Parts: sequence; structure tokens; C-alpha cells
Amino acid sequence: MRQRLWLILFVCGCFFVLPAARSDQDTGRVTKRFPYQRAGLSDRQAAACLLSRFTYGARPGEVDKLLEEGIETWFENQLRAERSDEGLNQYLNKYDALDLGNDSILAIYRNPGQVLRLAIKEGVIAPDSVQKGDKSYRSDLMKYMSEKGWKAPQELQRQLVGQKVYRSIYSRNQLQEVMTSFWFNHFNVSATKNICALYIPSYERDVIRPNALGNFNDLLLATAKSPAMLYYLDNFSSVASAPSAKGGAKGRANRGLNENYARELMELHTLGVDGGYTQEDVTEAARVLTGWTVRPMGSYAMGKSASDRSGRRGFASEAFIIDGDFMFAERRHDQGVKNVMGHRFGPQAGYQEGVDLIHMLANHPSTAQFISRKLAVRFVSDEPPQQLVSTMAKEFTKTGGDIKAVLMVMVESPEFWKEALKADKTKSPFELVVGAVRNLNVEIDNPNQIYSWSNRMGEKLYAYQAPTGFPDIGTYWINTGALLNRMNFGLALASGKIPGAQVDLLALNRGHEPESAQAALAQYLSLILPDRVPAINVSRLEPLLTDPNLHEKVEQSASGAKLDSSMDWASSRKKNKGNTPKQPDMLAQVVGVILGSPEYQRR
Amino acid sequence: MITRRGFIKSSGMAVFAAGLSGGLPTFVLQAAAKAFNRPNGPKKTLVCIFQRGAMDGLMAVTPFTDTHLQAARPNLFIAPGAGGGGLIDLDGRYGLHPALKGFERLFAEKQLAIVHGIGSPNTTRSHFDAQDYMESGTPFRKGTSSGWLNRLLENGHGGTISPFQAVSLTSALPRSLYGNQPAVAISNLQDFNIQMKGSKTGAGMAANSFEALYEQTSSELLRNTGKDSFEAMKMLQKTDVNAYKPLEGVVYPRSALGNSLKQIAQLIKMDVGMEIGFAESNGWDTHFNQGSTNGTFARNLTDFGNSIEAFWEDLGGLQDQVTLMSMTEFGRTVKENGTGGTDHGRASCNFILGQDVNGGVVYGKLDPLAKENLEDGRDLKVTTDFRAVFSEVAQSHLSINSSSSIFPDWTGTPLNIMKV
Repeated sequence: MRQRLWLILFVCGCFFVLPAARSDQDTGRVTKRFPYQRAGLSDRQAAACLLSRFTYGARPGEVDKLLEEGIETWFENQLRAERSDEGLNQYLNKYDALDLGNDSILAIYRNPGQVLRLAIKEGVIAPDSVQKGDKSYRSDLMKYMSEKGWKAPQELQRQLVGQKVYRSIYSRNQLQEVMTSFWFNHFNVSATKNICALYIPSYERDVIRPNALGNFNDLLLATAKSPAMLYYLDNFSSVASAPSAKGGAKGRANRGLNENYARELMELHTLGVDGGYTQEDVTEAARVLTGWTVRPMGSYAMGKSASDRSGRRGFASEAFIIDGDFMFAERRHDQGVKNVMGHRFGPQAGYQEGVDLIHMLANHPSTAQFISRKLAVRFVSDEPPQQLVSTMAKEFTKTGGDIKAVLMVMVESPEFWKEALKADKTKSPFELVVGAVRNLNVEIDNPNQIYSWSNRMGEKLYAYQAPTGFPDIGTYWINTGALLNRMNFGLALASGKIPGAQVDLLALNRGHEPESAQAALAQYLSLILPDRVPAINVSRLEPLLTDPNLHEKVEQSASGAKLDSSMDWASSRKKNKGNTPKQPDMLAQVVGVILGSPEYQRR
Repeated sequence: MITRRGFIKSSGMAVFAAGLSGGLPTFVLQAAAKAFNRPNGPKKTLVCIFQRGAMDGLMAVTPFTDTHLQAARPNLFIAPGAGGGGLIDLDGRYGLHPALKGFERLFAEKQLAIVHGIGSPNTTRSHFDAQDYMESGTPFRKGTSSGWLNRLLENGHGGTISPFQAVSLTSALPRSLYGNQPAVAISNLQDFNIQMKGSKTGAGMAANSFEALYEQTSSELLRNTGKDSFEAMKMLQKTDVNAYKPLEGVVYPRSALGNSLKQIAQLIKMDVGMEIGFAESNGWDTHFNQGSTNGTFARNLTDFGNSIEAFWEDLGGLQDQVTLMSMTEFGRTVKENGTGGTDHGRASCNFILGQDVNGGVVYGKLDPLAKENLEDGRDLKVTTDFRAVFSEVAQSHLSINSSSSIFPDWTGTPLNIMKV
């Protein structure tokens, strides 16, 4: 264990709490006590609040565990993200693609259309059978693929989604996973763009997650050099415009300067739309980044033709910088002088120009503001107080983009706790479904079911088409269709009707069955939303639940249901290996209503 | 915060607030009573169908007199011919693919217009990028956060919004509808309900509980949306959504598109205030064995044509409220490729159907398909910017005056496809 130095600071003034502080060996800064008491929160409430903001939801008993560890220590440990995760790894072991590099992924996961063409070319499948439109050729195609050791890209997508759900539910480094989602969304790429889809597993694993609690400059540079981003925003194809490029730029439609990445780099990744740049700066930045592309790899990836594009003399003799999957191709780079926001780049400084540009943008004051505000929107409020954002931005600048330090200074701010009291952030669909699974201690065999519920409520992971990422604000998530789905999700999960999600509501209450619906409501509210502030007002619900005939009604409908849906029950039990304890129906109903309630949609 | 309340009330109020006292012309009163979604005009619905994958416009609507085309497509070209199998001659120059025989009558009745040579000024041949640009409505900007249909809504109404103002019959919200205006993506109307598998009573009781909880929550957003949700649910419950019967004799294809259009027709008939309905049709990326009168493309086009025809018949007397417009991200190469298909090209064609449409005309400009007239020597040139057509159709049908924010960079002139 790391040693911590405890300091006692004597502060002149009238604080009730003597602020304790300690140094953090990573950054050398001193952690202050979090000022939650001044906002009127108890220790337990502060712990519950941290769990609701920085994890995917509190597991049963987690408030107590956190208090045992100490509130500040817990947060520091989450920032460090060094907890061992054997429990999680047991779930991840069933996937075989999670450790594959991009070369292997490209070799294994093949585009069905191209496989079909190849199979026809090799005479494995008769062209006529495809034209007829019958499905018989499909089995031949499957056989052909398995002989070659190829798999469909959907399988990779299934594993990508599965691992994300499992990590979010079971990782002990919860904040790292939350921040991975945050940065993925900030630097969004989309699986809906085919040429980028296969690179997403490594994008999340190698680019985002390792830097999620690191330094912003490193993270930005890593995204800029990643195949997923290079393909998604087209920089892979951006070459110097004809006059200054030596190579022939003839014929090909995608030849020439492409500004897409340069624009989003400034507008979405760093400065923000009002961050003080012009269209001219965008064009100049695009010129700086010409030649930033993907190294040739795979048998059909666009990267393969990069060597063709590089010129007649061939790949080996060219000036390239290769770093992992990234390649800087000197020939495609604009050799002239560029000027971005008053900073001069080039001439002829090659790869380093782009690195310097990214450094300049990462350290720009607008970036400090923009990123700090976005973090505050994620963790505090849709409309965060400007004072808090300024404090964070100052820390961002002071530490050169140390993400840990910015998060720490946020939680040390009184504004954080004042806002936290309001519990006014709307959970995103993914936070809602994973949070419910964690709150109820549900055992998940089929993570893709959880994913599909999130989709239905409007958050389809890895598939948001625009580079803006999902807007992380309540008005985006909450609409009529999505809201009904949120309620239905609660009912479905609590009543054990989601395949591969085993719920044991009684175990949650240590096997004790509540005597009435009213008692159930009270007990399960405090189990599911422990120490929640503000207290949840259920007075309007009670008359419904105290209906003397309630139990009877539910039982009736439930027994009717068994007749209606005997097949459903049988099949879902089978999938659950017969282990699912039958939920008392009244209880399922009450818990379902809690999960679908407006207060549960907030954190 | 957006005000999401007060459907009928405020539009009725608007008339009186305008200072008209007594002796209101009948048509004003009727309009006010009818139009709860649009205070200033009769209720209208724009239905958009996105054909994803890039439809071969030259095969759907063929300039059959063009000898270059015949030469470029030895296996794919279809000649005009009466009876089954041949192109349906529209005007001596263009012919409809035989799969679209239902469109022949609509074209003759001048309800259906076609625009040929339509496409994007951005020359990308990537499905993703081209769809993205078309749906955001900004062909050179990726970062536009909203879609053009959502911005259309922003321009349209005066603060009174139906929960069904924009409905996409898809599982996820399409890029066209991203934005600040509430829009619903739902692939099946049956799902718009509180459900508890196997327990109807349980579901009903849960619904009551939820309604009570959402009424009293302190969050304005959740309270208002909750109220809208239950109101919307009740709107749908007035009729048995599952037991929907189209008009006598109308048969929708049992396909994704057929199903979507059937549900859009349902919503229009239920009078729920839908201004925009959105549906998708997939499978247009015909690189391989496209077929001619039969085959992949013909099957897809049959579904497309029959779905639209059924929808239109099913609307019956409500046709005057609806304009339908199709769109696709780009067209396909003039020349057929080595595997009996076509590759990614530039311009395609689209269809606009409605009683406000100056139909019976193929709009746009197609030069002879000689190599020197093609874009990059291979593709049908884009001669009509998609924004010219989208903005005219949408604005005219929904009576919207300002187009500047719908297509921010667009300043072109309309083709006069719509009656003014």
C-alpha cells in the first residue's frame, strides 16, 4: 500500500470541520477533505452521492464499504484505478476477441459481401443461387467461412458490447469505466461507419481506457493517431493539395485535403465551437495533419492501398513514421508553412508539426474551459455553475491537463456538493440499465439483453452516428417513447422477465418477505436508493399500494399470466438454468415501480 | 425549457389573441379547430422514406432512349414494353421499372413527381458520409448536431407540440431527427404502452402508479414528459392498435417498409398531431447480381412501390394532408460492374407524392450519358442539389416560411415541384 502523509492544517476561520489533507504521491498535490458537511450532507449521504455520480450505481452494502475505506481514500483509489479485477475477468474470459490486435481482427472478421464475392470467385457458391434469392447458399457460405477461420463482424460487435456491459457491472475500477464511456463519447467514433467498425475494440481498449484518467494531451494525441478516428473523420485520406505535393494527385475521388478531422478536432475535441478559431484555422490545421494515416494492414482494409497511394517508388523506399497502427506518410504531407491561430507550423517539419498542433490545442485556455465544463455537465449538472467550471479549468491549465487533478478539484468544491443535493442529472439509458443491475445485485448471463434495453431507450452504444457523441443532457434522453421504455424496463427486470438476468429480490432483503406492499415500498426504496437526498416522496403512491385488494389483484393477474405465458416462463427458466427463484409478484411490482419512478431516473 | 403542453387550447387561443373579434370567417374557425399542431394552417404530415444503401436511379427510372446507357449496361438495361416485363414509358424518354407499375397511375393523375439527377454537392461515395450529410442537411459539415427534419420542426409550430409530432418507425432515432425538438423512435406502436409480460392487470396497476409518481415529481422535465407519455399512450389506446384494419382492399406488403407505412397511416388517421413520419427501406447496395426485371433490385423495388401504393390508398380521404418523399444517399455507376451489379456513384432519383405536388413530370436535367458528360467519367452527374427539393417540398407542405436554418448553407432556387 502507498503511504499517505497526513497533514493537519490549522485554518483560521469558523469552519466546524477541521479540514484534513493528505498528499497524493501521483501528483504531489494535497487532497482536502470533501466539503459535503457544509452542504448539509451526512457521511452516508456523501458516500451514496459519490457512488451515484462516479460509479454505475451502488451495489448492496457498498455505502458501508466505502465509509470503511474512507470517503477521500475511496475517491483517490478510484482515480488510481489499480484495483485487481479477477471477478470481472471471469466474465470476460468467455470472449476470444478482446485481446486481439487490429491485424488479427482484420484477418478474422470479414465483411459478408466480400466473402460472398470471394466464395463465388472460388466456385464455392454458384452465382445463380444468390440471384434466386433463396437462403440455401447461406449455409454453404457459413461453411466456407469456418473453413477459412473467418467470422462475421457482428460477432466482434457482440463481444465488444458484451465486454462493455460486463465491465460496467462488475469492474471494481468503476470510475475508470465511467470515464472510458465519457471520453469515448467525447471522441466519438461510430460502428455505423463500416470502415471504422473493426477498429473500435482496440480504440476503446488501447486508446481510451488507458488514458481515461491520465493526461488530456496524451489522450488527444492517441485518438488522433488511432485508425478508428483516422477512418471515422477521414483524415486517413487527406493529402496535400496538388501544388505542394510531390506525388501525383490524379484520378482518385478522395484525393486532396480533407478538413473533417481538423474541424472536429477544434470544435468538438478541444476548443469548442466558440473557442476562438476561424475557418481559415481549420484549413491550416488540416494542412498540418496531411499525411497522418493508417499503416497498411489487413487484406481488404483501405490501409492496404496506402502503399499504392504513396507513389511509384514503392512502400519500402518512402519516408514513413510508423507507430503501432499509425503511419505518417511524408509524401502526402503538405511541406509548406501553416499558421493556426497565430502559431506557425512548418515548413518541412513533418510529423512533429501535427504533434505540436495537438499540444497547442490541448493546452489552449478555451480547451481547459470546454473540457472542464463537459466534465461538470457529466458529473454535476446539465447547467453547471460557472464558478465550478472556472476552478476546474484553472486546475486543468495548472497541471497541463491532468484529468485526475481536475476531477479531484471538482469534488473538493463546495459547488459540487450543493449541486449534488439536487440529484438533478438524468441517468443515461446505459447508466439506468447497468445501475439497476448493480443496485439489485442481478446476475447477468446475457449482457446483450441489457444492451438492447439501453438501445430501446435511445442509447445504442458504439452506434451514435455524429461525431458530437450523445448529448449528455436530460432533455435529450427523456422523450415519451424512451420514458415508457424506462418504466417497462423496471417492470421487466424486477419481475425476472429479461432473459439472462437473474434477480433475487428476497435475497436483497436477506430473505425477509415484506408484509405489505407499503412495507415493501419502504424497505426496497432504502435498499435500492440508500441514503438518497432529497428524500423520495412516495405519498401519492401509498393509496394505490394500500388498496386492500391489491395483493389479491396481483395474485389473480399473476396466476392468469402463468396460463397465458407458460411458454415464456418455461423458456426463460430454461435459459436461467432453472435457478431463478420465483419472485413474489407483489414485490416484483413494487420494485418495478421504484425502478421506473421519476426519482430513479435521476442521480 | 421547452413547453410541451397545451395542444388544442393554445392554437384555439391564438386565433382570438390575434384580435379577430366576432364574425370569424368559417375557414379560420375550421382551421383553428383542426390544426392543433400548426396554429397557422391545416394539419399536414410529411412522410420521408430513406432508401439506405444508394438506390440505382437509372434502373428505377430509366432514360431509355439513351444509347450510351444501353451500351454501358448490357445485362441490366430494360427496354420499354407493353405488358409485363418491359419499362413503363412515362413520357417517351423516361421509363419506370416494371416493379413500379402502381406508380404509373399516380404519375398519370399528376400526384407523383420524379426528380432525376438529384444528389449531394459533396462527392463522397461513402454510404455513411453521404447519409450523414444528407440527413444533417449540411453536406460539408460533419459536426452539425441536429438533423434537417428536426430543424424543420423548430421552424414550424408556435409552441404547441404533440408527443407524436415526429415519429420514426425505426429502432433508433435517425440522424435526420437528431436535435432539440422531441421526436420518437418506435418500431412498433404496440410497444407504446406499459407492459408486464403475462400480466395485464399488473401492467395496468403499474401504469397507474407511474402516472401518480410522475405527476408529483419535482423535475419539470420528467413531470411534463411523463404527462405527455401517458397522454400519448391514452391516445393510442382509444383504438386497438393491434387490430388496425386498412381501408377495404388495401394490402400492405409484409415487409419492414410496409409495416412502417401502415403504422404511419394509422397515426395519421388517429389524428395525433404527427407532422413528420419517417421510415426506412434497406438493401439498395446492389454491387452484386442486381438483376433486371427480376432479381434483387426488382424485389426491393416491388416492395418499395407496393408499400407506398398501399399507404396512399389506405389514406383515402386524408391524402390531401400528406406528402411523401423518398431519398437515397447517392446513385450508382452508369456502367454495370463485373459481378452483375453497380458500384457507388453520384446522382440518383427520388419520388414525391401528394395532392399538392405538380406531378406527372420528371424534373431535373439529364445529359446524354456519354463519358464526357459523366462525373469523373463514370457517374450520373448531380444536376439538382437535394436541398433544393427537400426544402421546397417540406416548406411548401408544412407552410414554413424560413428555410435558412433548415439548410443553413443553402441559397438555391426551387424547382416548383409543389403547387404554391
